[in-house]
Amino acid sequence: MKALMSVGALIGVIGLLVLIGMILGVVPSNTVKLVEGYMPMQMLSELAIFVAGFTGISYLMSSMGMPLPRFWQGVLFWVFIWMYLKYRVYPPIPFSVRAMYGTVTFVAVFMWVSANEEDWKKFKQPIINVLDANTGFHKALRTLYLILLPILIGGFSFLSMKPSTEEPIELRTVHPAPPASTKVHGKTYTLQTSQNPYRVNPEGKYDQEYSNKLIVEQGMGRLMAPNANPWDEKAEGYLKYVREGGEIFFQNCHFCHGDNLNGRGLHAFAFNPIPANFTDPGTIAQLQETFIFWRVAKGGIGLPNEGFPWASVMPPWEQHLTTDEIWKVILFEYWHTGYYPRTWD
Amino acid sequence: MSKLRTNVKPTLAIGAALGAFLFSGSMIGIGHAADLPEGFVKGELAPAPPAEMIEAGKRVYFTKCVWCHGVDGAGDGPGADRLWPRPRNFNQGTFKIRHTASGELPLFNYNEKVPDSNKNDLLDTVTHGLPGSAMPPWEGILTEEQRLQVLSFVTTQLVKDRKFTDKQSETQTILQVGTIKPLEATEESLKKGAELIVEKKCIECHGVEGRGDGNAFNLKDDWGFSIQPADWHKCWNFRGSRQDPYNVRNIFRTFSTGVNGTPMPSFADNTTVEERWHIANFVNSLCERDAEGKPLGIDPLTDKPKINFVVPSSPIEGEISDDPENEMWKKQGRRYVAMGGQITHKPRNFVNRIDDIWVKSLYNEKNVVYLIQWDDRTKSVAEGKLPWAPTQVNVENFGVKEQPPKTGEEGSIAAAQNNYAVYNDAIAFQFPIKWQEIPAPFKPRYLFGDAKFNADILKWEADGSLRSFKGTGWDQDFEERDDFEEKVKLMKAEWKNGRWTVMISRPLKGDKDDYDEYTRFDVGKYIPMVFFAWDGHNGDAGRKMAVSAFYYTILEPPTPQEVYIYPAIIAVGVVILEGWMLTRRANKKKGKSL
Repeated sequence: MKALMSVGALIGVIGLLVLIGMILGVVPSNTVKLVEGYMPMQMLSELAIFVAGFTGISYLMSSMGMPLPRFWQGVLFWVFIWMYLKYRVYPPIPFSVRAMYGTVTFVAVFMWVSANEEDWKKFKQPIINVLDANTGFHKALRTLYLILLPILIGGFSFLSMKPSTEEPIELRTVHPAPPASTKVHGKTYTLQTSQNPYRVNPEGKYDQEYSNKLIVEQGMGRLMAPNANPWDEKAEGYLKYVREGGEIFFQNCHFCHGDNLNGRGLHAFAFNPIPANFTDPGTIAQLQETFIFWRVAKGGIGLPNEGFPWASVMPPWEQHLTTDEIWKVILFEYWHTGYYPRTWD
Repeated sequence: MSKLRTNVKPTLAIGAALGAFLFSGSMIGIGHAADLPEGFVKGELAPAPPAEMIEAGKRVYFTKCVWCHGVDGAGDGPGADRLWPRPRNFNQGTFKIRHTASGELPLFNYNEKVPDSNKNDLLDTVTHGLPGSAMPPWEGILTEEQRLQVLSFVTTQLVKDRKFTDKQSETQTILQVGTIKPLEATEESLKKGAELIVEKKCIECHGVEGRGDGNAFNLKDDWGFSIQPADWHKCWNFRGSRQDPYNVRNIFRTFSTGVNGTPMPSFADNTTVEERWHIANFVNSLCERDAEGKPLGIDPLTDKPKINFVVPSSPIEGEISDDPENEMWKKQGRRYVAMGGQITHKPRNFVNRIDDIWVKSLYNEKNVVYLIQWDDRTKSVAEGKLPWAPTQVNVENFGVKEQPPKTGEEGSIAAAQNNYAVYNDAIAFQFPIKWQEIPAPFKPRYLFGDAKFNADILKWEADGSLRSFKGTGWDQDFEERDDFEEKVKLMKAEWKNGRWTVMISRPLKGDKDDYDEYTRFDVGKYIPMVFFAWDGHNGDAGRKMAVSAFYYTILEPPTPQEVYIYPAIIAVGVVILEGWMLTRRANKKKGKSL
């Protein structure tokens, strides 16, 4: 038990030191990187490790005869969560969201310290001690609190009331509902029934199975399946069109959406919102191929109101590309990210 | 953990080097090291990678790299021509960022898995990418193993003119950048560095202020494409910055080893290590910093400075100075505005030369003034009259056309660089007219507004004109607003050593408060704003330009009285609450003890 707790404590201390070091800039801030696409899982496991670490620390401290009062355990844990949300999570989350999580944590800590009568008493004890001020130390502490509290609360309210020029928060619908049909280059496409004409086998027949087999492997470091090189001179059907789609993508789209289709192209840093990350399972993997066709053809201008058409700089690609080229680019995007388009059934 | 390792590694390396020195000191004559430039040691060629790694690397290459670097690695993939700088041509084995002496192949060892160990240049490059170019960092995309595999393929199959393992023709002379301790950037060191960049003729290419504006037009790389010297004020764009732009070691390395394939030579032979540190310290000191002199925060997602999309304007009593060095301007914080190429509508600008501008703003009771500064290597003023009217946006008919990408060099976009007709450098910004009627966060279109919500555009051109236009859509020519031009004022426009400084003043309100015609400014309101920039030597005109995202400008209200009063009231309230709690507690205790 003790060995296990010691390991926990060690992990906790190291983790805490690295985190504080990263916040203060002593340790480079990218020491422990957030892995793209796995961030929520990573955060949860980091937090789990920290909780294990804290349990270990508090166990060791009490076995060494210097138990940390329950009151301070609660306060410190709440401070830790607040620090983690503020400094660790990237891209930064707005204060309002942090405040929400902070409140939830507060309630959780409260439930934890008041789980039974004895715990609750232990938790209250330091507060009561200060209020009663039976010893000289507590008297001094009480006087300190009496002076500091009004100053701190007054100061905080001053800071929060002082006019600040933060960027206004804009919540936009990333995937607005598509229309029933869309007209591109004079031809009407019914989004429910249209198909990517290039998802074909070497004989030229529409063949979802065939194209799915040649899609790249899933997971990080996505790569083409063995023997499925679209640059092979003998590549036919689907694979040949993947290459053609890739050529169009790299001549038109990768400047924003990036070489890795992760929204970090050469010009991406200049835009707000930044371009879509196709490797994120929340984008093209969730959508039908026809939805992508509609979005690519109509661009930012073609978005309905809830999608903020005025904010997106996505060009209406029908101005630059033929319909065939748009379908090929979509084919390439699914191939390269390793996702299958969602189907209507 | 990669960055942490670098901190540990040098210590280990020093230890190892010291051990090796003590052990073999008697065998290696010191005289042998004397023919090497200072700071370099002899290295050994790495072994050839096994065939299965090369085969695995081929799959990586044809998924990820082929699109820019091409089937044969000649830097001519489908994406190549719209990129500037162009993707590397691997065939000759010429690599820019290395620890090896000028002209030598970079360090690559398929067995050396640790990036940032200073032992595997190519792994470092693939891991961190080449900031300022289209080469992205592949860390987190490809595993370390996959990165080594693809490099095994590139170095053995695509480097055709040289062989990484040929002991007859290849040598390795390695800069010990990990173990040479940097000199502290003291004032004296910076002063010496400032003298050395003149003495060593760095300024001939990089310019007097290091903005890359010296000799900017005559430089070509090994393949005959135009190339421009680095702007030392934008260290995040240094190709060898390894995503750690303010690290002086990167500059020391580049300066010591040169940049193969470009006119940047190695200075290893004609500088001492100490001199190189002075220069590196000085160059590093030029990179843009915040008001307190601290490095700018770098956004890990983009490797560029972090962006705040609000351009605040502070209140000033009385006249606003037209001197950027005036105290009122110096006190005002500046904002970094990122600029991308306008690649939405034809003619698209894939190669935008202006990638950022710096903006400050002040206002008084009558006017709001914007101070805009940006680096532009060349002052461009069109000779004679331009063939189109200032209001014309659709200038495609006049030859400002979008160039189709070419894979060959003949007629490519890269070949056209520096051969364009010269137009005016220009800067413009727009606000929505009648923004008060636009329900937030709705905005008119970022590119010159739209038919429903017109844009109020102010455009300055390097011929000295400052004009006011109404924009009604990206494909509509501007409408000139003559009466408004009398009210706007160009307070300053100066190009000096590669940097433009333009100061523009415009009224807050019109004569009749008539906001159907132009944007009216109200204090404390967020007003959407977009910036546009044209580089005249890049053939920028009409819609061919650099453009920002939507920013907000806000006239910061003077701090209201309530801000001081309410917190005081709250603090007094807390004191009363405290008194009440203590009294209650004391009474309770008394009651108990009785």
